[in-house]
Amino acid sequence: MAEVAKELSEYLDDMALQILMVEPGDLSVVGELLELTEQLIAEAGNQDGQEAIFEMAKSFNAALQKIIMGELDDSAENFDRLGQCVVQMQEVMRKDGEADEAVKRLFRESLAAAGFEIAGDVAVAAVAEPEAEVAPVAASSVNAADAPVVPTAPAAPDLDFLQDKDLLAGFVAESFEHLDSIEVNILDLEQDPDNSDIINNIFRTFHTIKGVSGFLNLKKINEVAHITENLLDDVRNNKREMDSDVIDVVLSVGDYLKEMVQNVKDVLEKGAEAYLEYDIGEYVQLVKGVQDGNGGEVEVAPAAVPAAATPPPPAAPAEENVAPPSKAATVKPSPVATPPVGRAAGPPRKKSRIGDSIKVDIEKLDGLVNAVGELVIMQSLVRQNPLVSRLADPKLNRDFSQLGRITTELQRTAMAMRMVPIRQTFQKMTRLVRDLAKKTGKTVDLIMVGEETEVDRNMVDSIYDPLVHMIRNSVDHGVQTPEERERLGKSTVGSVYLRAYQKGGNIVIEIEDDGEGLNTPKIRMKALERGLISEGDNLTDHEVQNLVFLPGFSTADQITDVSGRGVGMDVVKKAVEKLRGKVDVSSEAGKGSIFTIRLPLTLAIIDGIIVRVGVERYIIPTIAIQESIRPKKEEYNTVYGKGEALMIRDKLVPIVRLYEIFDVEPTYTDPCEALVVVIENEGIQRALMVDELLGKQEVVIKSLGGYLKDTQSVAGGTILGDGRVGLILDLASLLAKDDGGDAALVEEGSLS
Amino acid sequence: MEAAEAVRGESVGGVQALEGKYLTFALGKEEYGIGILKVREIIGLMEITAVPHTPAYIKGVINLRGRVIPVLDLRLKFEMASEEYTERTCIIVVEVQGESAAVQVGMLVDSVSEVLNVVGQEIEPPPAFGGSTETAFILGMAKVKGEVKILLDADRVIGSGELAQFEAV
Repeated sequence: MAEVAKELSEYLDDMALQILMVEPGDLSVVGELLELTEQLIAEAGNQDGQEAIFEMAKSFNAALQKIIMGELDDSAENFDRLGQCVVQMQEVMRKDGEADEAVKRLFRESLAAAGFEIAGDVAVAAVAEPEAEVAPVAASSVNAADAPVVPTAPAAPDLDFLQDKDLLAGFVAESFEHLDSIEVNILDLEQDPDNSDIINNIFRTFHTIKGVSGFLNLKKINEVAHITENLLDDVRNNKREMDSDVIDVVLSVGDYLKEMVQNVKDVLEKGAEAYLEYDIGEYVQLVKGVQDGNGGEVEVAPAAVPAAATPPPPAAPAEENVAPPSKAATVKPSPVATPPVGRAAGPPRKKSRIGDSIKVDIEKLDGLVNAVGELVIMQSLVRQNPLVSRLADPKLNRDFSQLGRITTELQRTAMAMRMVPIRQTFQKMTRLVRDLAKKTGKTVDLIMVGEETEVDRNMVDSIYDPLVHMIRNSVDHGVQTPEERERLGKSTVGSVYLRAYQKGGNIVIEIEDDGEGLNTPKIRMKALERGLISEGDNLTDHEVQNLVFLPGFSTADQITDVSGRGVGMDVVKKAVEKLRGKVDVSSEAGKGSIFTIRLPLTLAIIDGIIVRVGVERYIIPTIAIQESIRPKKEEYNTVYGKGEALMIRDKLVPIVRLYEIFDVEPTYTDPCEALVVVIENEGIQRALMVDELLGKQEVVIKSLGGYLKDTQSVAGGTILGDGRVGLILDLASLLAKDDGGDAALVEEGSLS
Repeated sequence: MEAAEAVRGESVGGVQALEGKYLTFALGKEEYGIGILKVREIIGLMEITAVPHTPAYIKGVINLRGRVIPVLDLRLKFEMASEEYTERTCIIVVEVQGESAAVQVGMLVDSVSEVLNVVGQEIEPPPAFGGSTETAFILGMAKVKGEVKILLDADRVIGSGELAQFEAV
């Protein structure tokens, strides 16, 4: 019995999937659906105790045939209703073939709404109907569906979509992807308004969101997506022009949907109290306004937007059937269903589209990377085993080097799995530039190069904010107004280039504009005013320009409502440094500026120098190291008997005795016998005293685990070549710890 | 005994709920037990990298097949005199619920004894020693074959309460 039920429910799952994909006019999918239904009928007919499903499937089959024959409208609404029918059948299936009356009634209503009357159907029609007068038109189905028929409805009816969290989480992730693709498509469409492929893409995206949200009982999202889909349907069928009104509306609806989906996500993460009740009335009116504005009155519609504070329309659109009453749990297949739909609906871009991909839990990936790292270590341990190395067998040696190549390749691949193209982050900038240009009355072209460059997955999000900041800066301050550009003999359209490429062990991101360029003399003046440099400093233009990254440099007359606000480029610098990267600007007055961000390829690996202090080994990030020296007697100074410092390149650099901080027994206590590594972090210089330099190595950063994560002075651990753990120094907290006594000393040092 | 239970305010549904399999180990003269489901593996002593600025009972971190996990010395944790490590010294790797995810932590013990099936009637609630003696991480006392084993609550021994404690250090 259970097995049978499983088979039947598999058919139903497939049907649910198909009906999601079906589109008006697309009879081939309907055909597949029909075939599935017939198999279902055959199976159910063979089984005892599945009469309910058998009858339901027969009715469903008849309705499908009518659609194919053209007797019923093959509209999106009707397919939605059929989708409801499938859901109800799944519901029945879940109860081992027991159809309770509520489900039967809903099933009947859904079919009736599609215009199909069930005649003489024993199982379904025999139900005594309290609402027998249900019209064959859908008008009342919204209310009917809201009726308390849901057998396992939770207390808060509004949150009954919370039943299957996995499903919802899938929906949230997919929706964000879809919504982002809407944005990209719309912006493409602006360039090429008559491209019906793009319009279709956008349409399909809303269609998918509508479908899935419907299944998940997210009524409001469903409704907003639905009306937008209707609007786009008109555009698609040439009932309406694709003009800037439509584009604006679709963009703002996209934003609104994102907000609502975000709220769903919040509810998932923080629980039901995070739930916000969205008043979608305004948007419904807005979209309808644009849709009805069909022609002459188009201009009025968007103008009505701000005025749309009027109460929302009381009821959902008449032909709407938004409330699938059944449990999300019965729609299990849809998360599985969504990715393929998403792929199909996503922009089938003209250029290289990445191949098929799967989503993998980050923990599994880390596990793989760990295991591979361990493999490499074990391999070298085996190889260095005295017994093994004494065997001077050429075959063994060959095999070892082959093994070495394989493990290296394996390691490389494992690391590469963490990388994703920077495309998504870049594409978000398109929208930003468009909005900014509109706001500032400029015309700006954003030209993106190297979107397929891959960066560490963890870095993608952190790079977003600094990029936004810099793009704003370029559009707002860099590119001039069209009039001014004309006066200067430049093309009236400003260009902002956004480039990404890999260079050496770094990812380089460049933001270049052909605008004004930095005003170097003014920067010099400001810096002098603020005492950041002194009169005598002999700085190159390039050095002066890079002063804009110092804290508090945002000059007063730069502030506009778009950027500025007192937040300077130092924020960018900080964010980039957090990612262990560097930022630089070079500019030519009148011609434009280039901001360059250099980032490490991955956050998982750090380039470090391994040092020994006593028996312990520590890793110092190479990026912070300036030099390492063995101090001479005459360079060593004590200051006021309190601190000690080294005179390095005419600067006094305080000494930090690592063994004191880490409480280990050192080999040397005299700085002149030991080595010092001069490091710089956030402008603070220190000489770290160590016993020995052991070498330079790329090490994989590992967390010390939640248990020790807040340990001071230590950023993490890594597995060294002999399999032991080495600690990676966190210079920021190390220096902060040390700062107490030495703050005065630094002042002293930089003055001399 | 009931009074003791009341004092502890334990709501485990009585000590009966504690029955099951325990891994027992020796620490000084006492025998302790820890729920077998918490134990991930038992490994021999390996080189431990000391981590600065941590309490003394945190011996440091080890490489457990590519994962870095902390190790604590249970003797020091229980404020017993520390002993030279011998070849019988073991690290029991347990998995406990951390703030966000499950974390693995190693516990250094003198030696591992056996896996013991403890039935309900053998378990008594932890004694009230009076005063401020901390017994929070003791689940109960098991009397098996005339010997007393102290059943530990792994989550409390290395729980988040601990974490907070040495965040303050």
